[in-house]
Amino acid sequence: MADGRTEAGEVTRLGEEGLRGRLKRYREVRLTEEELAVALLTPVMLFLLAVSFYPIVDTVWASLHTGYVIDLPGKTTAFVGVENYLKLFSSESFWNALGVSLFYTFVSVPIELVFGLGLALLLQKEFKGKYFAQAAILFPWALPTVINAKIWAWMLNPEFGVISDILVKVGLLSQPFPFLSKPDIALYSMTAITIWKTTSFVALILLAGLSSIPDHLYESARMDGASRWRRFRDITLPLLKPTILVALIFRTLPAFQAFGLPFGLTGGGPGEATTTLVLYTQQVAYNNPGPTGGGFALGSAAATVITLLALVIALIYVGTLYEPEVR
Amino acid sequence: MGVVDRTRDLELEDVALWDVGKKFGFYGAIAAMVAVSMFPVFWILLSSLKPPSELFVFPQEYLPYTVSFEGGISVEQQFPLTLENYRTALGQRPVGTYLLNSFIVASSTAIIDVVLGAMAGYAVSRLRFKYKLHVLLVILFAALLPFISRLIPLYRLAINLQGTPAGAVFGLNQYLGLILPYAAFQMPFAVWIFQAYFKELPDSLEEAGLMDGLSRVGVLFRIILPVSMPAMATAAIIVFIYAWNEFLFALTFMTQDSKRTITVGIALFGGQFNSPWGTITAAVFMSLIPLLLFMFVFQKKIVEGMTAGVGKA
Repeated sequence: MADGRTEAGEVTRLGEEGLRGRLKRYREVRLTEEELAVALLTPVMLFLLAVSFYPIVDTVWASLHTGYVIDLPGKTTAFVGVENYLKLFSSESFWNALGVSLFYTFVSVPIELVFGLGLALLLQKEFKGKYFAQAAILFPWALPTVINAKIWAWMLNPEFGVISDILVKVGLLSQPFPFLSKPDIALYSMTAITIWKTTSFVALILLAGLSSIPDHLYESARMDGASRWRRFRDITLPLLKPTILVALIFRTLPAFQAFGLPFGLTGGGPGEATTTLVLYTQQVAYNNPGPTGGGFALGSAAATVITLLALVIALIYVGTLYEPEVR
Repeated sequence: MGVVDRTRDLELEDVALWDVGKKFGFYGAIAAMVAVSMFPVFWILLSSLKPPSELFVFPQEYLPYTVSFEGGISVEQQFPLTLENYRTALGQRPVGTYLLNSFIVASSTAIIDVVLGAMAGYAVSRLRFKYKLHVLLVILFAALLPFISRLIPLYRLAINLQGTPAGAVFGLNQYLGLILPYAAFQMPFAVWIFQAYFKELPDSLEEAGLMDGLSRVGVLFRIILPVSMPAMATAAIIVFIYAWNEFLFALTFMTQDSKRTITVGIALFGGQFNSPWGTITAAVFMSLIPLLLFMFVFQKKIVEGMTAGVGKA
C-alpha cells in the first residue's frame, strides 16, 4: 500500500512536496501511512513514558538516595550509593520475604500448569451446558485478589470456617483447624488458594493453544498407529510450547508480585510466614519505618530488586522456551 | 452361540459400559470443577443472608430449608434468611460509595484504554512505518514492569503536586490518581487485543476505502472503527475487571474513606479475628455482582480478551 506516496499519488518527501503543499495536506487531514502511525502512537508512547517508564527510573534514583525522598524543609536528599541495598540485603525480613515469594510462585505455577492442562483437555470437548460450566469454572479468575483473600479468610476461620466443617463432616478432622495460624500451613493454604483461583486461567490460555493445533496431524499419527500417549507427547506438547511460554509468563509475574492475597488473608502472618516481597516492600515504604524514617528509599531499593528479578525470570523463560516459528 | 460370537458380545457390552463410564466420569469431573469453583460464592451469599446467631456457630448450616420425609413431606426451616447484613453494609457503612467509586474509576480506565489502545493497535497492526518492532517491544516491555516499582514514584509525585494546580487533577484522593496509572498498566493488553483483532481483518477494507477517495484518517474513522466494536467491548471488559479488582494503588492513593474503592473498603473492614463477617460477606457479594454478570453474559468476550493472539503467533 504505502510506497512513500499518499493515496492521491502525491510524493511525500518534503523536498518535492514543498512546505506549503505539506501544510495544505495537514489542513485537509490527509496523512501518509507513516504520519498517521506517528499521530496514533505518540499519545500512547508519551502516556507509557510518563506513567510506566519514568517511575521505574525514578525508583532506581530514589533507591540510591537518603532517607526522606519527598522534598520537605529541613530534610535534604543526598546520594548514598548502594547503602540502601546493603541495608536491604542485611535484613532478615527481606530474605524471608524473598523465600516466601519464591516458594509461593514456583510451587503454585507448575501445579497450575499441570492442572490447567488437564482442565484444558477436559474443556476441549463440546458438551451440553459448556457455556455455563466454563463461566463457572473461570469465575475465580475474575475475583479481586484481596476480596478473594477475605472470602477464604472467612472460609478458613479458625472457629467457624466451612472448610473445617467439611473436613470434620468427612472425618478428616475432629475439630476446627486454625489453618492460618500456623506458619507453614498458612503459606501452604495461601499457595493452594492461588492455585484454586488461577488454574482455570491457565487452562483457558492452553485451550486457545490446543485449538490451533491442526487436526490432520492427529489423524495421520493415528493412521500410523501412534498411541494416545505418543500423540500427546509428540504432537500436543511440542506444538503447545509457545502457548505454555505465554501461560508461564502471565502467571509467574503476577504470582511473584502477590500483594492482595497475603494482605487480606493473613496480613503477612503469623509472624512473617506469608509476607511476600511486595507486601514486605509496601510495609517498609509505608508502615515501618515509613516514609519519614527512610522507608521510601529502602522501599525503592526493594522495588528495584523486584523489577530486576521479574525481568530475569521473564528472560529465562523466553530464553529456554522461545523458538523461532517452525511451522 | 459360538465362542467368537460370545466374545464379540462381551466386548460390545464392555465397550458400551466403558463409554457410559467415560461419560459419567467426564460429566462428573466437569460437575466437580463447577462445584469447587463456585462453592465460595455460594458460601458468601449464604453467609451474608444468615442472622448473626447462625453465622458464628460450629458446625455450620448449609441450607436454610431442609425437606423432611418423616410423617409425610414437610419443609423445615433451619434458620431465617435476612437482609440485615446488606442494610448494615449500605446504611451504616459506605459500601454504596465504595461501589460507586470503583465504578467511576473502572469505567473511566476502560474508556481511556479503548481509545488509546485502538489507536496504537491499529498503527502497529495495519500501518507500515519505521521502527515498528521497537515500538512493539517497548509496549510489551511496559507490561513486564512490576506495579510496586511504579507505586512509590507516582505517590511521591502525587504528594509533590498537592497544592499546585496540577494537584487538582492527579493526586491523592483524586479519581484520576488511580485512573491514569491503571490505564497505563493495562495499555499493553489493550493494544495487544486490538492488534490481534485488526490483524484478522482483510486488507481489502482499507484498499476499498482509499479507492473510494477517503483519506487514511477517513478510512480509520469511517471503515475500521465501525467494524471494531467487538474488540472494543473485549478490551473494555478486560480493563474494567482489572481496574475494579486492583488493590495496591487503591490502598495507597485513596486515604479518605469517601474516596475508597470497594476492594480497599472491604480489605479494611476489620481484623482477622473479630471481623463483622455478616457485613463483610454482604459487601463481598455486592462487589461480585458486576463480575458475575460479566462472566455469565460476556464470557465469549472475556475469553477472547484473555487469549488474544495466543496460538496464532
